[in-house]
Amino acid sequence: MSTTLERPAVATPRKVAPSKDSRALVRGQARAGWALLTPALLHSGVFIVIPVIAVLVLSLTDYSFGDTWAWVGFGNYADLFRDVDFLASLWHTVLYAIVVIPISMAISLAVAIGLNQKIRGLGFFRTAYYIPTVTATVAVATIWLWIYNPGSGLANGFLSLFGFAPNRWLADPATALPSLMVVGIWQGLGTKIIIYLAALQGVSRDLIESAQLDGAGRWQRFANVTWPAIGPVQFFVLITSIVGTFQVFDLVYVMTQGGPGSETRVLVMDIYQNAFQDLKLGYASAETVIMMIVIAAFIAVGRLLQKADAND
Amino acid sequence: MTSATLPAATAATAAKPSVLRPGRILLYVVLTVGAILMITPFVWMLLTAFKSNLEIAKFSWLPSELRWRNFVEAMQTAPFLTYFRNSLFIAVGETLFTLAVCTTAGYALAKLPLRGGKALLNYFIVLLLVPFQIILVPLFLIVKSIPLFGGNNILGQGGIGWLNSWWGLIIPLGAAPLFTFLARQFYVSLPDQLAQAARVDGLGEFGIFWRIMTPLIKPALITIAVFQIEAAWNGFLWPLMITTSDDMRPLQLGLAIFSQNPAEIQWPYLMAGTALATLPMIVLFVFAQKRFVEGMANVGIKG
Repeated sequence: MSTTLERPAVATPRKVAPSKDSRALVRGQARAGWALLTPALLHSGVFIVIPVIAVLVLSLTDYSFGDTWAWVGFGNYADLFRDVDFLASLWHTVLYAIVVIPISMAISLAVAIGLNQKIRGLGFFRTAYYIPTVTATVAVATIWLWIYNPGSGLANGFLSLFGFAPNRWLADPATALPSLMVVGIWQGLGTKIIIYLAALQGVSRDLIESAQLDGAGRWQRFANVTWPAIGPVQFFVLITSIVGTFQVFDLVYVMTQGGPGSETRVLVMDIYQNAFQDLKLGYASAETVIMMIVIAAFIAVGRLLQKADAND
Repeated sequence: MTSATLPAATAATAAKPSVLRPGRILLYVVLTVGAILMITPFVWMLLTAFKSNLEIAKFSWLPSELRWRNFVEAMQTAPFLTYFRNSLFIAVGETLFTLAVCTTAGYALAKLPLRGGKALLNYFIVLLLVPFQIILVPLFLIVKSIPLFGGNNILGQGGIGWLNSWWGLIIPLGAAPLFTFLARQFYVSLPDQLAQAARVDGLGEFGIFWRIMTPLIKPALITIAVFQIEAAWNGFLWPLMITTSDDMRPLQLGLAIFSQNPAEIQWPYLMAGTALATLPMIVLFVFAQKRFVEGMANVGIKG
């Protein structure tokens, strides 16, 4: 290794090799390339591409693990829009996304701006805000299940310090979904803070300083320099948040199982139950396709908002 | 002497007047309160893990005594050690598999002259956007139909394939396109002359990949490994779908099962098990913090 490292300067003149040899060399490299790439191509083909195609095909059938199945065309889709459980889970998921995404983005940006000042203990703060993110959602959900415990949980214990009456949190239809949202926001801050922080550090100091010289106040500097500069990152955070919130499952599975009633039923939970408990794979696939379409619609709206913001 | 020190002193205080400004103090207070809100649930988890069943009947902060035996009794109540071993096995397996498949592919995409290389790169970037939840149902069918495994015939019929097996737990979720893309980004930054020089020295293409280029992206390998360990350790839905026996189940699934019977949950035991599931990732994070955060930020910006 050390010998090869010393050679680059010598290697340059040798580049002018006979073209026949160099063509053979390139062929050899290409062969090696394909050999190195094949495992990844095979893996992604079998475990991603085929499933994506399969979910589209399955959604048009009534397949349910048995040997016999039939094409039902768009029958599954028609049924879905008469299915109370599906409609409830779609509504809860959309509501969850609409509430959780803006709040968590705003808090994350605010914290990131705070951490972007010259402050002490940056490592501590970064770790503190990031720990919930690296912790498994199941573990997080288990801890919060205990926090929301109506009898001796931290939530009621804390409120009682201020004389508030105890709440039933997850057991109360009115507070169950908001309680989950709080956990979702709390857990998701870390990643967004880190990404915002990286983006803020990339904002040109020169621009900020020249704005300052022009007499721009703190708020004006933020609105005219920082905000436009982090636009693309905002969009990235938005997209990953949309995809993330539509996938919410572990939290609900551990904390409420979709209850009370079906107050916290979400899409992935409904898909999971249709597919693996009721064994309606075709039906669950149609549900998945609708989830894809809704995610795409959300992203499209996000894109429009970003464009509108950029044109201001 | 005094006249020389005085201006210096004022200059020093002028350099960071912000330390004493009320706005600055407010900033620290707000950030600290936020940090406490982030950590408190974990502290409470640990405190509960040491309490007696009697003690948790009423809300309290500190345990009256540290009942270390809660941890031992939790292990006896549920097979947490088996779950722990399974999680470790899955995390190590998935990480090795990911490193092997994604570095090779990343290198080929970055450094070797492939026909349609740009299209191939775009292929992986597009796949990177496919969420696992979308392919849930067919992925299950494919894993069930792996030929010649689990009693399946050559057409993948008749048996259970990779269900309830280490193969099924490890292979489908390893080698995510994200990691191929990340590895590629790191290889791209290495100078081509290195490979040229090694070629002149008569080293073959695989030797160049393995002995020259890959050792140079060790930071990237660590980044990918930490990401993958975290993803594997925290996985839940996939093991829930494909395992039926406690022997194969990872920690997260064990926790979920343990917490599903509200009438009989023994909170100190459950919190002890949760601590067991949580601490390794926190320790890993604290050690790999800088790298992890950089990796995360890079993924964000490049996306």
